[in-house]
Amino acid sequence: MNLLSIGISHNSASLDVREKMWMSAEDAKAALLQLKEKYFNEAMLVSTCNRTELYGLTPETKVDDAELKRFLIAFKNAEASVKLEHFYGSFSGGALSHLFKVAAGVDSMIIGDIQILSQVKEAFNLAAEAGMMGPVMNRLMQATLHVAKRVRSETSICEGAVSVSYAAVELASKIFADLAKKSALLIGAGETGELTMKHLVGKGIGTVKVANRTREKAESLIASFGVPGAVVDYENMAEGLRTVDIVITSVNSPTYVVRPADVQKVMKQRSNNPLFIIDIGVPRNVDPTCNKVDNVFVYDMDSLSAIVDRNLEKRKAELPKVTTIIREEVVEFFKWHNSLEIGPTIQELTAAIEAIRKQEVEKNINRFKAEDRELVEILTKRITNKILHQPIANLRNGAQNNGARGPETVNRVRALRDLFGIADKEKHGT
Amino acid sequence: MNIFTFVDVLVVLMPLLYAVLVAVYALSFFGAIPIIDRFKSSFLILTVVLHVLYLIARTAAFDHPPITTVFEIMTMLAACIAIAYTYIELRTKASNTGLFILLLAFVFQAVSSLNIKDLTELAPILRSRLLGFHVSTALLGYTAISLSAVYGFLYLMLYREIKSSRFGLIYTRLPNLEMLETMSSKAEIFGFAMLTVAILIGIIWLPRAFETFSYLDPKLVGTMTVWILYAVSLAAKRKLGWQGRKMMIVSLIAFGFVFLSMTVINMYMSGFHSFY
Repeated sequence: MNLLSIGISHNSASLDVREKMWMSAEDAKAALLQLKEKYFNEAMLVSTCNRTELYGLTPETKVDDAELKRFLIAFKNAEASVKLEHFYGSFSGGALSHLFKVAAGVDSMIIGDIQILSQVKEAFNLAAEAGMMGPVMNRLMQATLHVAKRVRSETSICEGAVSVSYAAVELASKIFADLAKKSALLIGAGETGELTMKHLVGKGIGTVKVANRTREKAESLIASFGVPGAVVDYENMAEGLRTVDIVITSVNSPTYVVRPADVQKVMKQRSNNPLFIIDIGVPRNVDPTCNKVDNVFVYDMDSLSAIVDRNLEKRKAELPKVTTIIREEVVEFFKWHNSLEIGPTIQELTAAIEAIRKQEVEKNINRFKAEDRELVEILTKRITNKILHQPIANLRNGAQNNGARGPETVNRVRALRDLFGIADKEKHGT
Repeated sequence: MNIFTFVDVLVVLMPLLYAVLVAVYALSFFGAIPIIDRFKSSFLILTVVLHVLYLIARTAAFDHPPITTVFEIMTMLAACIAIAYTYIELRTKASNTGLFILLLAFVFQAVSSLNIKDLTELAPILRSRLLGFHVSTALLGYTAISLSAVYGFLYLMLYREIKSSRFGLIYTRLPNLEMLETMSSKAEIFGFAMLTVAILIGIIWLPRAFETFSYLDPKLVGTMTVWILYAVSLAAKRKLGWQGRKMMIVSLIAFGFVFLSMTVINMYMSGFHSFY
């Protein structure tokens, strides 16, 4: 197969290098249009903060991939910092399985990252806008999405929180049934604390409260979350503990801000409703012995990081399964792609027509006199050959003029296979 | 097929079906065979339907509903638990608790099948109309508190995993703590109400049916202990704000007494509540 890919990613270059190659949607589209003129019939370009990769289907003539790398560098005017060595490249099956890996999230910085799939989808959309999606690229898109879908449903490589803030939110949804009916209090305003609250808001937390030494800061934070909220007096924190279900502490303080005695007292007042305390402060804000109180769950940075580490290990353990899926799908894609070759298609078409002819002759041969039977054989053969001659000749000529792998030829082959119902073991639609 | 043969076959088949059902849910819980998730519900429904047919066949064959001996009651109870769980699974999609609940149904069915006798002759007392009410309320009550106990048990397992931040399959597969607690406490309240009615009917009916019974009979004492335990725990929940772990522990202890009262006391100790 004539698929070629070159790219630069966190595996091959540092952030300051690869950010020079980052392309906005407009950039990517403009680059694709230039590439169309020079090198490709069909192509797509995916660019995220961790990678910029180009996938293209070359015509008959070989494309020099160093030339493509130089083109991309020049396109971004990044000759000063980006060198050819920062790029990697692959061809045919290698390029195919690389794309599958990227879409499945196993080539990502955090293994099993699910954001990348939507970015890949977006890249295919851009390619379509630039008129670079031909029959093979379309098929490639379906196959890529299919791989990603299989990886998600058949492996658990995307499961389990892999950031501290998300791990906290996941725990919250294992303790509480409906976050919309719950409220959370953020004490202090560290970055991770804010992020955790944002994730909780994303999960639909009902109300947010913020306690901060400066009231204005608390007010502006609440406004930024965009859900119903209230400011709690920093000095009157116990009051906050009494009324909320989740507490995130992120305070810069040398001593514990929440102590077991406070918690015990508060639990009585709140008639033992479960209280989930996420202690993000370093040093810790919450005395760890608070966890001993019934219905109080305390998690600090250490225990949350331990969850993250464990989840990453679990994801890594799923890698072999993903590799198997990718291998299977590469084989499937090649099967489909091979069916686009002209030679085999002509052979199959001739065989199919011959089978029909033979069947009909056999069925009716007894109606003819014995001495005529050979003539019937010859006559029917001649008819089918004549019928087939023109389409086959046109197909071959077209391939010579438009390239055997050009979209024009591919479309004709596919139409032919489709119209004559030649077995095409397509697994996922057309 | 003759109806007696049908009953004889199902007596053996039912515990086997439940065993297979438990195995299916176990495989699904441990994620051994992913495809199994797709047809486990169908298999559950099949088992429940066969169980109901079995109960109907018994009623027809022996000319009384299977509610007169403790082993007849146990197969009824197994069926009720399975039906209640089927409803929960179809309603809430929380199918991962099935293993634990169906395990209980299996235990009841197995004990029943191993001991059940084909009785056609009934003691005249058991033809009383009050018995129907007594037994059906008791059955509903027992079903509810069995479910309450299983959910309580699962709550405690999950509670421990979250508290100690050691996450295993329980953490991955079970629904959240709040849901387990709600299920357990709703079932407990319903079960308690039903048991109260069953006990009241029993007490009204007893002096009429048995001339020689004593209020100190082990069955009566056992039942009253259970009732008081539930009453106290529900009062503690309301008045003292007991929630979560404490409530679940009480619920489990009370269920332990229920099980004892149904089995040991009924079989070996009771003066009046054994009828076979």
